[in-house]
Amino acid sequence: MKLSRRIFTLATTAVLALSTSVAFAGEALDRVMAAGSLKVATDANWAPQSFINDDNKMDGFDVDVAREVAKRLGVEVEFVTPSWDIITAGRWNGRWDLSIGSMTPTKSRAKVLSFPAVYYYTPASVAVHKDSPYKTLAELNGAKIGASTASTFELYLQHDLTIDAEGVPAFEYQLTTDQRKSYKDGTAAMDDLRLGDGVRINAMVGSLPAIQAGIKSNYPLRVLGDPVFYEPLALAIDKGDTEFNDKLAGIVGDMKSDGTLTALSIKWYGIDYTISN
Amino acid sequence: MSEPIIQMIGVNKWYGDFKALTDIDFTVNKGDKIVVCGPSGSGKSTMIRTLNWLEAHQEGKIIVNGHEMHAKMKNVDAVRMDVGMVFQHFNLFPHMTVLENLKAGPMWVRGVKEDAAHKTAMKFLDRVRIPEQADKYPGQLSGGQQQRVAIARSLCMQPKVMLFDEPTSALDPEMVAEVLDTMIELANDGMTMVCVTHEMGFAKAVADRVVFMDEGKIIEENDPHSFFDNPQNPRTQNFLSQILQH
Amino acid sequence: MLFADTVVPDPAVHKPKVMAIMVAVGFVLFSLMGLNDTIFGEFMRPVIGEPKESGLFGNLATGLVISIIFTINVVLIGFLPFRAQVFVVWIELLALFLAFFYSFGLDFTFIRSKVWFMISQGVFTTLYISAISIILASIVAIFGAVAKLSSNGFANAIATFYTSFFRGLPLLMQVYLIYLGLPQLGYVIDAVPAGILALTLCYGAYMTEIFRAGIQSINKGQWEASRAMGFKFGLTMRRIILPQAMPLIIPPTGNQFIAMLKDSSLVSVIGVWELMFLARTLGNKDFKHMEMLITAAMIYWCLTMVLEVIQSRIERHYRTVSH
Repeated sequence: MKLSRRIFTLATTAVLALSTSVAFAGEALDRVMAAGSLKVATDANWAPQSFINDDNKMDGFDVDVAREVAKRLGVEVEFVTPSWDIITAGRWNGRWDLSIGSMTPTKSRAKVLSFPAVYYYTPASVAVHKDSPYKTLAELNGAKIGASTASTFELYLQHDLTIDAEGVPAFEYQLTTDQRKSYKDGTAAMDDLRLGDGVRINAMVGSLPAIQAGIKSNYPLRVLGDPVFYEPLALAIDKGDTEFNDKLAGIVGDMKSDGTLTALSIKWYGIDYTISN
Repeated sequence: MSEPIIQMIGVNKWYGDFKALTDIDFTVNKGDKIVVCGPSGSGKSTMIRTLNWLEAHQEGKIIVNGHEMHAKMKNVDAVRMDVGMVFQHFNLFPHMTVLENLKAGPMWVRGVKEDAAHKTAMKFLDRVRIPEQADKYPGQLSGGQQQRVAIARSLCMQPKVMLFDEPTSALDPEMVAEVLDTMIELANDGMTMVCVTHEMGFAKAVADRVVFMDEGKIIEENDPHSFFDNPQNPRTQNFLSQILQH
Repeated sequence: MLFADTVVPDPAVHKPKVMAIMVAVGFVLFSLMGLNDTIFGEFMRPVIGEPKESGLFGNLATGLVISIIFTINVVLIGFLPFRAQVFVVWIELLALFLAFFYSFGLDFTFIRSKVWFMISQGVFTTLYISAISIILASIVAIFGAVAKLSSNGFANAIATFYTSFFRGLPLLMQVYLIYLGLPQLGYVIDAVPAGILALTLCYGAYMTEIFRAGIQSINKGQWEASRAMGFKFGLTMRRIILPQAMPLIIPPTGNQFIAMLKDSSLVSVIGVWELMFLARTLGNKDFKHMEMLITAAMIYWCLTMVLEVIQSRIERHYRTVSH
């Protein structure tokens, strides 16, 4: 009886120690440096930011940025590909160290994640089918509009988007509809839109570079109007390690000032997205 | 001389509300060959199955080989090893060969080495006269052969007493004799035996005592000569007249 | 086959009435499909002229011809013996199926460039995750079944709670719960172990029933004989009961494995690079998801067909052993 109580106490202590260990300052940075490898979570389904290339390896703008960050930390880089909602849910428990996945630092995400640095901005735009009659965004009010789930685009449609980062121009909600449709990712929304205007949806909100990449691959779509908002995209880490946070902020600052980020942006998008205007 | 190996003292047993055994007093001495008979439903199978406690009794005492059988007993397996049992439906292990069936008990629970177990197994297969079937599976044998294997399997455990629960009732008629012959030989070798059976010829040939049961009670117990020629109880007389009529 | 009657009626498709109905229904259906802008229309060009301009007449003519060809085909197949019938219908359905995929205008060069990676990475991962999970699930199921059959209240309660819980939740939810929930208790596990754990627990719950039924199917005489020889519970279970229950347990377990092969696709959500994950991601950059999805579908299908052949052999093997 006494022994079993003691075992119970021991077990409870161990569990508590393990579960709280995540929050110690400097822990993530120490882990990365000790392992000599930076585990980066990124989506494998998000060309051209991150995708599996012809050699079946991870590739893309985000992946290149991650490689550069790791190089400047002096460690190897390793990629893991959990689904987007798992990354944004936070509480990574040390499964991976960093997300470089074009994440918008929203208020709700800031509750579970820290955003060390914004590394570029992408315009969010509305796409419609090539043969559809729409000329202005206002015509889409009340239409069926898709966006990837748990994304800023969906939040924009829900009129629930708060972007809290420097250098982002103000925006207003130009679309109002009750008929929102959530998709696994932006590509799935484009796949439904390509079937024709209103077959499944009338329009989608997504990242302009992704839409343009689709159009280049013969998706029968066109971009409608100007970008509806600019989303700042940031590195994200689990809450609680300020040292790691500052270190990453410094690295991204350097990459901005020495032109590395601009060069990568032009390599992947043809445009410098590291400044917003 | 008379050294009791099994004793039942005032045993009562119920299945729910149904009373299966009533006030059974019954003793098996070393070397006894006892035949238990009675109409179906008389409790004779139940009685023999309480002897190694495949069935539990509720009242009275059952003492086997010096151990009282009860629900909290620690060494029931040790007691059971010393009590061989042969079932109506043989209950051989169908996924094992005849030889494996015979070696299993000694090797797994008696701690006998493979060589010795093999030797014992072949000895008893010889005795039941089917050594050539050693490597076959039970399903490939006739009913009579299977029952002889079952007897040999029990013997391999070197039991102090053998229980037979209607060993010939599931057999085709032409196979009854070969099993009875085996049992008679066993009796002649001095094995202590309790047999539930309707084979009155067997009873006459080997039994020291015949027990007649009806409605869960022992009605009459006597030596075979008196039992068959001069039954005392009218129910015994009635039973005997029925089974000896044809 | 069902228990066949000794009296054999003429095949239904050889009755004139049935033939007429087939032609009529086919005519309506095929006409409604508007097939004159397809390859069928091209064949009809001598009759209907330029297929695209043939309009209603073209559609009706094409529909009639196709429905007559279809009916003749069915009537002819009706004359064949059973095995030949099965074979011919299989081939025809397969051809139709391939033609259907072919009509998507898939990029086969792209498929060829990716298929090896899908097999070496995706199929390999899918297979080893499923194989490990089915083995662990069998072990869980043995304990589950014994506990469920036991007269011990604790064991029985735990086992029934376990099976009820894991059979009551969607597998996808279990994957999420284990991957996201366990770390809250301090146990951080990677995606692959989390996936294996989820599959193990879920299938273990289903297979508990298979094992329970297998164990219960063994005649109680086997228990009595074992007990009468002084075998303890564990020994009886291990050496007497389970070996005999295996012929009843293994065939449905094979079916579970085939089902698991497909259910293992659910662990793609936690980022395991198995077949389904690759099907969703490989085509992403070039917008060739249809190619990748169909390729993966074909691979899954081939895998299950191979496994079903193995499965039927196993079943036949055990059927001959047990009788």
